[in-house]
Amino acid sequence: MTTTPTAPASTTPVIGAGITRVDGPLKVTGAVSYADDLAPRDALVGVLVGATITSGTVTLVDASDALAAPGVVAVLSHHDAPSVVRPNEASADDRAPRPPFQDPVVRFRGDYVALVVAQTREEAEHAATLVHVSYDVDEPVVDINDPRAPRETDDPAGADSVRGDLARGLAEADVVIEADFVTGDNTNNPLGLFAACAEWDGEALHMWATTQWPSNVADCLAEAWGIPREDVRVECPYLGGGFGSGLRPWPYIHAAAMAARTVGRPVRVVLSRPQMFTGVGHRPETVQHVRLGARRDGTLTAVEHTATIPVAVDDDNPENVVSGTRQGYAVEHLRADVDQVRLHVSPPGSMRAPGEAQGNFALETALDELAVELGIDPVELRMRNEAVTNPDQGDLPWSSKALDECLRRGAELIGWDERDPAPRSMREGDQLVGYGMAAVSFFYFQQPCTVRVVVRRDGTAAVHCAAMDIGTGTYTIVTQVVADRLGLEVGDVEVVLGDSSLPPSPPAGGSGLATAISNATALAVAQVLDDLGLDPRAAPGRDALAGAVGGRDDVSAEATADQPDPDQLGMSPSGAFGAKFAKVRVDADLGLVRVERLVSVIDCGQVLNERTARSQVVGGTVGGIGHALLEHTVTDLHAGPQTGRITNAHLADYLMAVNADVPDLEVEFVGGPDRLNPVGVKGVGEVGLCGVAAAIGNAVFHATGRRVRRLPITPDLLL
Amino acid sequence: MHPFTYTRVDDVAAASAAVTTDVVARAVQTPDDVAFIAGGTTQLDLMRDGVWSPGSLVDISRLPLTDVQVHDGVLVVGATVTMAALARHAAVRDVAVLRDSLLLAASPQLREMATIGGNVLQRTRCRYFRDPTVTQCNKREPGSGCAAIEGTARTHAVLGVDAGCIAVHASDLAVALVALDARVRLSGPGGTRTLPVAELHVRADQDPSRDNVLAAGELITHLEVPLPEARSGYLKVRDRASYEFALTSAAVVARVEDGVLEHIAIGLGGVGSVPWRATRAEAVLRGQRASLALFEEAATAELADAFTVPGTDFKPELARRTLVRQLRDVTEVTA
Ligand SMILES: Cc1cc2nc3c(=O)[nH]c(=O)nc-3n(C[C@H](O)[C@H](O)[C@H](O)COP(=O)(O)OP(=O)(O)OC[C@H]3O[C@@H](n4cnc5c(N)ncnc54)[C@H](O)[C@@H]3O)c2cc1C
Ligand code: SF4
Repeated sequence: MTTTPTAPASTTPVIGAGITRVDGPLKVTGAVSYADDLAPRDALVGVLVGATITSGTVTLVDASDALAAPGVVAVLSHHDAPSVVRPNEASADDRAPRPPFQDPVVRFRGDYVALVVAQTREEAEHAATLVHVSYDVDEPVVDINDPRAPRETDDPAGADSVRGDLARGLAEADVVIEADFVTGDNTNNPLGLFAACAEWDGEALHMWATTQWPSNVADCLAEAWGIPREDVRVECPYLGGGFGSGLRPWPYIHAAAMAARTVGRPVRVVLSRPQMFTGVGHRPETVQHVRLGARRDGTLTAVEHTATIPVAVDDDNPENVVSGTRQGYAVEHLRADVDQVRLHVSPPGSMRAPGEAQGNFALETALDELAVELGIDPVELRMRNEAVTNPDQGDLPWSSKALDECLRRGAELIGWDERDPAPRSMREGDQLVGYGMAAVSFFYFQQPCTVRVVVRRDGTAAVHCAAMDIGTGTYTIVTQVVADRLGLEVGDVEVVLGDSSLPPSPPAGGSGLATAISNATALAVAQVLDDLGLDPRAAPGRDALAGAVGGRDDVSAEATADQPDPDQLGMSPSGAFGAKFAKVRVDADLGLVRVERLVSVIDCGQVLNERTARSQVVGGTVGGIGHALLEHTVTDLHAGPQTGRITNAHLADYLMAVNADVPDLEVEFVGGPDRLNPVGVKGVGEVGLCGVAAAIGNAVFHATGRRVRRLPITPDLLL
Repeated sequence: MHPFTYTRVDDVAAASAAVTTDVVARAVQTPDDVAFIAGGTTQLDLMRDGVWSPGSLVDISRLPLTDVQVHDGVLVVGATVTMAALARHAAVRDVAVLRDSLLLAASPQLREMATIGGNVLQRTRCRYFRDPTVTQCNKREPGSGCAAIEGTARTHAVLGVDAGCIAVHASDLAVALVALDARVRLSGPGGTRTLPVAELHVRADQDPSRDNVLAAGELITHLEVPLPEARSGYLKVRDRASYEFALTSAAVVARVEDGVLEHIAIGLGGVGSVPWRATRAEAVLRGQRASLALFEEAATAELADAFTVPGTDFKPELARRTLVRQLRDVTEVTA
């Protein structure tokens, strides 16, 4: 059933408490089953072979040597792989990533050209080196600035927006700031290598696959093979990190299904680390331009933010680089525009705070430049331009917004008053000291989610949903919501997730799952209590529940939390807000930037679990430090045989922040429950990352007087 | 990974020479087809990446070469002593340049695995070298060209290189060792010999296809490090605060008496195709009155003929500043 939000607000203390993760003991003892651990023991092993050219056509895959190697059972390629249909993503009209081996075209370096199936991993890896592939080579286009790259200007990301009249806004300005920004490609790099194991039972497909969205993978596999959705089951109870890379049904998943079909046995495919750089998406680079017009008093009169991002030659990736700009500040005249250019690069995808992370860096850096130009305190500048209503949604009032409080509290915590605003004015020995800040208005995202709540004969409860816990604490918060509303001990609630045969869920992504699933859970609880003849507000407790179930085995109810309709509600659904404050030290001679303090103050509505919410912000901030200073997937651009090859597809060469890069991170939550939904939650998965790069970059400017409009900010840019 | 045979030589009862000879006998027959493995932190990567696929792997990690001793002011270190163990050793604790070159390298886990012999013989991190799908690499395929020259070369070398190869020798330890006038003891088919570490490696501008002067089957058995009667230090500059190779580094050993540099020895890391002994800078400094201006002059002289490509054009300046900083900090001269 579908219900409008009527479930009562929570009162008892299990909500908000920092209870430890319910899956914590399993994880730290190694008892947890990742998708690959569930693969049938007799599964064969598939190893993918990637193209060593960047654009062209495969003329021949000669598998004879590979097939003769020990242990090899089969080699699949476009010559003989099963034909499947290219599906669409479950949530949108976008095309899902192209299943492999359907044609001989090579669209990027590392595009799969063959799959070797053998008894053991070692045998498959060895045989993979014996597959001889011949190509007709075409000239690839891999540089985002290459004029030959086809440019999609018709707003594929739904990002473009025009408000008022930009020219007028600029004419009204006393000061205009204009700057270009460049951010590099980043790769998600979850520690767990992605894996898929497929087993066919007649026409039914059972898949264990690393994913952040089992429902979507199942939908896409059913469409690809033309089989009923109920004949596909995708399981993934846990995964070793995703950061967005598990949101789509990537080609390796199809490869496992094809191989299992071909050899008539279960086959598991595990990606290598280099394949994790090309096979499961990444945060695309951006080229951005920002123009800000303001009056002397700091009032923004015009904002223009345009961005170019790459997309693969045959894929869609709606990445909204300007969403934060559209809703961030009260400005009458605005133009926001995102173009995509098609390149022979591996398909970009979502990486924690997709679009938002890159766009926020440009906007919040430009605002810092404006503050310097106007001689206005950067915190004050943000406050003066606060969007009290959502300018991007007909000026509807926000369902909740405590950005102002985030800014005030953050300034207090970091000691913003102690900062001498003059650039390069604070020095300790060789170290230049700087403070910087940025604000974040994270977009709102929610998709329908269905949850089943089961109350058993003994008064304990179970919750069923296809959703994923990607390490964020979904198991834990769902447990809390149910315990809270049924009046149960945490230990009396069993949560079952990560299985597409359970009620359908949205992705664990877009900071949208916690809102969707907690509300669906609250609605299902209210429904089941109603069905049991109990007061939905009473949190009856185990004995009363057992009594109400009576002689039955159990009583269950399903409910769906739908996407709210802003116009009907008369308010604009809010995402999280945040303020980031950084204190950095920059070696005056060597250009080394070290973050000394990082303060995040976040408004994420009702905090369901202080501990897991804080972990989200801490983890996001670590990613933000990497985004600011370290992470960069480097692609060879010069003409020649290496064009389009990633030069650092390796954990030793792709630098992510390590402990020594990360100070003790300070996190505080402000604001109260959101008005929109019964649980009052707003997602907190991505707001932690956003704004960190701009805060650090602005602190680097304050320390050194050097403005770096490029990510990552490396020592060579500061010499 | 290609199939290979694995032999462990761990006969501690037999004399190390005998074991070594046995290993050598096999290695000499087909040099490229036999590889030693000690901690394996370089060797296994090379094999997994398909860069070097020996048919036979000889595990030397059990050889009785695990002692650290001091004889007459010389530290003698067995080749299979781990980086972690050496850094912990009492005799190393006060030799800042040696200690820090070890502790600032890799990660704790790697340092517990990695051996001293393997460290100085580690192969370049050049990602073109380490990817067999890249066809241009003079180090792997002499005469094929160098993909790094026009490619991504931020971590590459600017000294001891030319357009044929710009690979960096990435060891931190070896940089400290050249500044300490350390030697390696070798044992091979032709018998034993001792070489300065500064003569162990082959510059890329001389022959990119050879990393070092070891004969086929020749083993490093020990390091000899004269303990300095001077102050020393190792400064490592890198993007990430830990667990990264050097963008630039400087090992400085110096003794200042009455304001005059009586002893000076300098190694530079992250910039050379070999662990770089900064003889030009030393010549400017030796016997002179120490001053910041002199340090600038010395560092500038050392980097004057650097060979850069677009990716490395920042490196001479960063290396120069790194050296000046470290000269200042080791000598404590502030004007
Ligand atoms: C992620 C990562 C980060 C790293 N960071 C750093 C760093 O910051 N600084 C740094 O200095 N190093 C760094 N290293 C390199 C590391 O220190 C070396 O890999 C290690 O020291 C090699 O020692 P090993 O015993 O593992 O050698 P192995 O891998 O076993 O051997 C290395 C090579 O030397 C040969 N060999 C080994 N011992 C002998 C011997 N006694 N005689 C003759 N030949 C021998 C082998 O045949 C092989 O070719 C890093 C490595 C990794 C993987
Ligand atoms: S720098 Fe040297 S090792 Fe690297 S590609 Fe060029 S020749 Fe090969």
